Amino acid sequence: MHGRAGSVRLAGALFALGVVSGAPVSAETPAPPPRPPEAVYAKTCGYCHGQHVAPVIRGRAIPAEMTQAIVRRGQRAMPAFRPTEISNAELKALALWLKASKADPKEHDQ
Amino acid sequence: MTGVTRRDLIRTGAVGAALMGSSAFASPLDGPRQLPAHLDKGVFAAAVAELRAVVGADWVFADPESTLPYAKSSTPDPRHEHVPSGAVAPGTVEEVQAILKIANHYKLPLWTVSTGKNMGYGCATPASSGQMILDLKRMNRIIHIDAELGTALVEPGVTYQDLHDYLEANNLPFWLDVPTVGPIVSPVGNTLERGVGYTPYGDHFFMQCGMEVVLADGTLVRTGMGSVQNSTTWQAFKWGYGPYVDGIFTQSNFGVVTKLGFWLMPKPPAFKPFMVRHNAMGDVAKIVDAMRPFRMSNLIPNVVLMMGAAYQIAMFHRREELWDKPESIPEEVVRSFARKHGLGMWNTYFALYGTDEIIAAIEPIVRRAFEASGGEVLTEKEMGGNLWFEHHKNLMSGQLTLEEKGIMRWRGGGMVCFAPVAPAKGIETQQQTELAKEILGRYGFDYSVAYAIGGRELHHLIFIQYDKEDPAEEKKADDCIREMITRFGARGWASYRTGVNTMDLVAQQYGEANRALNARLKQALDPNHILSPGKQGIA
Ligand SMILES: Cc1cc2nc3c(=O)[nH]c(=O)nc-3n(C[C@H](O)[C@H](O)[C@H](O)COP(=O)(O)OP(=O)(O)OC[C@H]3O[C@@H](n4cnc5c(N)ncnc54)[C@H](O)[C@@H]3O)c2cc1C
Ligand code: HEC
Repeated sequence: MHGRAGSVRLAGALFALGVVSGAPVSAETPAPPPRPPEAVYAKTCGYCHGQHVAPVIRGRAIPAEMTQAIVRRGQRAMPAFRPTEISNAELKALALWLKASKADPKEHDQ
Repeated sequence: MTGVTRRDLIRTGAVGAALMGSSAFASPLDGPRQLPAHLDKGVFAAAVAELRAVVGADWVFADPESTLPYAKSSTPDPRHEHVPSGAVAPGTVEEVQAILKIANHYKLPLWTVSTGKNMGYGCATPASSGQMILDLKRMNRIIHIDAELGTALVEPGVTYQDLHDYLEANNLPFWLDVPTVGPIVSPVGNTLERGVGYTPYGDHFFMQCGMEVVLADGTLVRTGMGSVQNSTTWQAFKWGYGPYVDGIFTQSNFGVVTKLGFWLMPKPPAFKPFMVRHNAMGDVAKIVDAMRPFRMSNLIPNVVLMMGAAYQIAMFHRREELWDKPESIPEEVVRSFARKHGLGMWNTYFALYGTDEIIAAIEPIVRRAFEASGGEVLTEKEMGGNLWFEHHKNLMSGQLTLEEKGIMRWRGGGMVCFAPVAPAKGIETQQQTELAKEILGRYGFDYSVAYAIGGRELHHLIFIQYDKEDPAEEKKADDCIREMITRFGARGWASYRTGVNTMDLVAQQYGEANRALNARLKQALDPNHILSPGKQGIA
């Protein structure tokens, strides 16, 4: 629905082969651009929430800090999601979007 | 629909501590984090500082708050033996190598995960407390898709969703083969666990072709044809030259896999999904005996799911709708609820692939055999729109879904999977079903299972659902799986894979010679034992 997840990069070429010594690396690969909240919802949350699997969470004005805490900790039957999966910036935007969202009549509870 | 209140959530115990901040963890056992037993705080802090210099401060997680998502698991851990010390998330192979150098220096144990969603087997949690999670999720490049050969080469952080979107965006005529939890998990993690999906490409390690591995000393190795200069066949030919080594990097702790190749199924011109409904628990033997010749001859080419009614119901319904007692649900209650939803006690899903002519030729043969076994053979015509039929139709054509995750809600979020292998012989599967029901019954758990039918065997996937918030239940679930492993083992039936809490127990069943061989390989490849100690019982 939103094209491919923005965080995946397609590499043009393969790495060189062989044994690499443990030479120091300066690192800090640049972070991929954040995905919009709709995309994160559609590609992750929306497979469970509103699909018989987990409660509807759109249109309930769930406080943003609560959503952030639940996503990072994983409430009971829900798995936790790490910053490597959903960045802090993405999660914050998602939580605000969710709080302001309207219920989708196509979604169903439980 | 009302909003959840902060009090509601704190009452569930789920987010209270997170909302209140890390100071809420009074004792180290209450928190999500434990240091390695053999490292003092100062040494650990020094290692963390060096890791930060490699990957950047944002990608080292070494306080209780930021370790929380790594500690989440549905498997029982009554003795707090699977608590990580933190996590480090490299973005490149070079960073992985630099991290291993630091880990060797400080003897810091690292537990490798790709997407870390090994649900039912421990998620991202380690085999012993204090290990730091080596989280490869940031390495998420789809390196190459060969549209002529139908092959893929990906990094560990690529999810099935990423691949699916990529194939779609580029209009490539291939189907993925997904486990039932595809959107949030990885082909690399799943294949390295030797996991399964439900198309003809369902045995993932069978379809794997070539990998790149960083060994504990930083050496980078490519398996198969991948080490040949200017190789153009890395993802085309599995076996390479000389000893075939890919297997020793699966379900193991001998290296960190940084790239994995595998084959993609050409989208077939025609596909027809079937469901066979049987109404008695005892029909399991008849189904397996009817299925065996078709899987052996590949007339039915996909990994078939024979789904127990209780598991199917748990996907979309809550236990309270059927049964409000702590004891196992009686068979009769399950049967009548299932019937109302078009389900039998066993629901077997397979599909035919090819052209309309091929399918038309095979269908009557298969139909006759299953009807003779007492089953009703159903298709889209009868079952179209049924939630369960649609779900399995999606799986058998490589579509993404998380619907089976619904089973986690059955009893408060706890679930651990016991996965013994059965030969594809009716009598033995029936005996396994009877033994599982007997043991689960004594603990008050429900028989909630799926059999995944391969060429000559079945994975009997037994999902022990319990209330993870109740320490007594957690202990009971841990006792239950141990008894199941032990008593199945006494009959010669061992697991194909197991959770972090029982890795050693299952390794014992595979015998001393096997363990000693693994130990020698481990000593040769990772003398400081920094990579995932305890994985599959290998120290
Ligand atoms: C309801 C439900 C249904 C499920 N259905 C299926 C199913 O249909 N099929 C199936 O196979 N599984 C299934 N699972 C189990 C599990 O969730 C999947 O197998 C999942 O793919 C594993 O998680 P992952 O891909 O994130 O792997 P990870 O958690 O990343 O990895 C799994 C393990 O592999 C090893 N490993 C991972 N990456 C590396 C690496 N780069 N180098 C070295 N070692 C590594 C580690 O030991 C790690 O612990 C199901 C679970 C649940 C709860
Ligand atoms: C694998 C399925 C799954 C996914 C994916 C998932 N959740 Fe959940 N979530 C659940 C379940 C199940 C519950 C109910 C947990 C319980 O109390 O047992 C839940 C609960 C919640 C709640 C609390 C709702 C309530 O009524 O108590 C919030 C908020 C939430 N999830 C947000 C999210 C967000 C945001 C995402 C995406 C980043 C997400 N979830 C992804 C399964 C999922």
